[in-house]
Amino acid sequence: MAFLELIDVVKHFGRHTAVQGFSLSAREGELISFLGGSGCGKTTTLRMIAGFEVPTAGRILISGRDVVPVAPNRRGVGMVFQNYALFPNMTVARNIGFGLRVAGRPGSEISRRVDEMLELIHMSEFRERYPHQMSGGQQQRVALARALAIRPSVLLLDEPLSALDAKIRVRLRAEIRAIQRSLGITTIYVTHDQEEALSISDRIVVMKDGRIEQVGTPFEIYNRPATGFVASFIGSSNALRAVAVHPEQGTASVDGQEISAARPLPALAGQEVRLQIRPEAISLHNGVAHNNHLRGTLVNVVFLGSIVRLVVSTGGSELMLDMFNNPHLALPEVGSTVTVGFAPEACVPLEMKGE
Amino acid sequence: MSMTMTARSFAAPGAAARRRKGWSSLWLVLGGLYFFLPLLATFLFSLHGKKGALSFIAYAHVFRDPEFLHTFSFSLEMAVVTIAAGLALMIPTAIWVNLRLPRARALIEVFALLPFVIPPIVLVFGLIRMYSRPPVMLVTSPVLLIAGYVVLSFPYIFRSVDAGLRAIDLRVLTEAAQSLGARWSTTLFRVVLPNIRVSILSAAFLTFSIVVGELTLAVMLAWPAFGPYMALVGRDLAYEPAALAVISFLLTWGSLAVIQLASRGGRGQGPTAGGVH
Repeated sequence: MAFLELIDVVKHFGRHTAVQGFSLSAREGELISFLGGSGCGKTTTLRMIAGFEVPTAGRILISGRDVVPVAPNRRGVGMVFQNYALFPNMTVARNIGFGLRVAGRPGSEISRRVDEMLELIHMSEFRERYPHQMSGGQQQRVALARALAIRPSVLLLDEPLSALDAKIRVRLRAEIRAIQRSLGITTIYVTHDQEEALSISDRIVVMKDGRIEQVGTPFEIYNRPATGFVASFIGSSNALRAVAVHPEQGTASVDGQEISAARPLPALAGQEVRLQIRPEAISLHNGVAHNNHLRGTLVNVVFLGSIVRLVVSTGGSELMLDMFNNPHLALPEVGSTVTVGFAPEACVPLEMKGE
Repeated sequence: MSMTMTARSFAAPGAAARRRKGWSSLWLVLGGLYFFLPLLATFLFSLHGKKGALSFIAYAHVFRDPEFLHTFSFSLEMAVVTIAAGLALMIPTAIWVNLRLPRARALIEVFALLPFVIPPIVLVFGLIRMYSRPPVMLVTSPVLLIAGYVVLSFPYIFRSVDAGLRAIDLRVLTEAAQSLGARWSTTLFRVVLPNIRVSILSAAFLTFSIVVGELTLAVMLAWPAFGPYMALVGRDLAYEPAALAVISFLLTWGSLAVIQLASRGGRGQGPTAGGVH
């Protein structure tokens, strides 16, 4: 059963539409990421759940109750901000206990809860420090503890790691996920970092221009992107231009070379279609059995450390393919003709929606 | 040769920096002399109250004069009320502008310039004309004087509070407090005001300086304030006005010292919080 539900939520700022027809159901304990570029409406949607923005239309239900008319301080929603937003005049302990103090909880309960939270974020020794005496990562952990201390029904995280450096980001996102799982709290996580979204989420909502492009598990989003935007936004991918031959059977032609997809093509015979193929799903045809083969010219070889990326030009498209590096790897010369292969299952027809 | 050039190119910036530092120090010393010499002269002059000897007799005369205490305590009272009224008016206004009406900032900036553009004499005649006849008779009440002082101190209070609010990222802090269940009053008194404490103090002391030294409004509205008293003493006596001038300076510097101490002693506040003056 849905714990947090957004139904046809719309938000206009003057003439500008920030969010359009946004509907989503989140189960209790689920972590859902809103992923998209700047201005796609992900933060606006989060702020509408928090109550800092009022939807122009639509409903937002938490545990079945419409919270749109409810003031932000009465929603029971915890929020973690990009730049921590710790109160500079308060110690760590007072920051964490703030929500409980304003709720009028007894001192002993506040103290116990603050201790619990400090233990949860492994920062018990920082109890009496002020925000400016801590690093960004430590401040953000305190901000998380502060948001969780009030036992919110929903936890909202607005790009919580984007102000931190790469190593701390990776460590902290694992911590956030572990804490979220252990508490079983329904969480919405806004990010523009696809790797973060893929690694932390139960489901991802990919957004563009205020609309949902696709909702799915990280596996679905990565392997079966619904649109060209999702395919290009998540990871590296090839968008192979082809002409549909037998769309219902998934066959298409690339410069006279026939290939097939595992799914029917969303086009009529003779129409152009785009097929998304991940670089790691394509290999050089070295006797490996593949249903799909394309001949082309090797135009570039890029060494990326653990991976070597080859770029092959075929039928007016350039295909990237990734190979694991090893000291015995023998690569063809740039300019030589090569044959690449890939399975029909790796070949995902893209709907031309919104492009 | 290339080594010589390299050595020269390394030496050159150091020499230039030393030259720049020398010039800076010279201008600083000249500026200091321009400021301190008249003050020193005033102080030395104030010590000549007793013929043939240096003494603090002029200061003793000032402090013994019942008018000094009377006018100073009146101005002090007016300053306290003006500070309270000004802050009560400006803090919510500055918060509102920062949170809800950022476009109104341009308008407020124009208002903030008005006390500099309109001379106090014009302001006070306007006030007298407006409030000396029914329906609102305020000309005999100190309320009108305080209202005038609030107008004069408006730019200083607004700019101080506004700078403090900008330094703390008001929007995010208020939203954080609200998401934790705080009402507006709780957010204001427990989060916003403690974090702009230095700015509020700064606004208060600037207002204090303006009110204590103000002459035109007090004279025209006929109130026994410290400004007119200083003017009167300056007209009739020789050494006491110099002593009063030194006392005024000390009061002002004392206020600034309190601001500095408060800003250093502010626990949990960054060194730049609210410090735009």
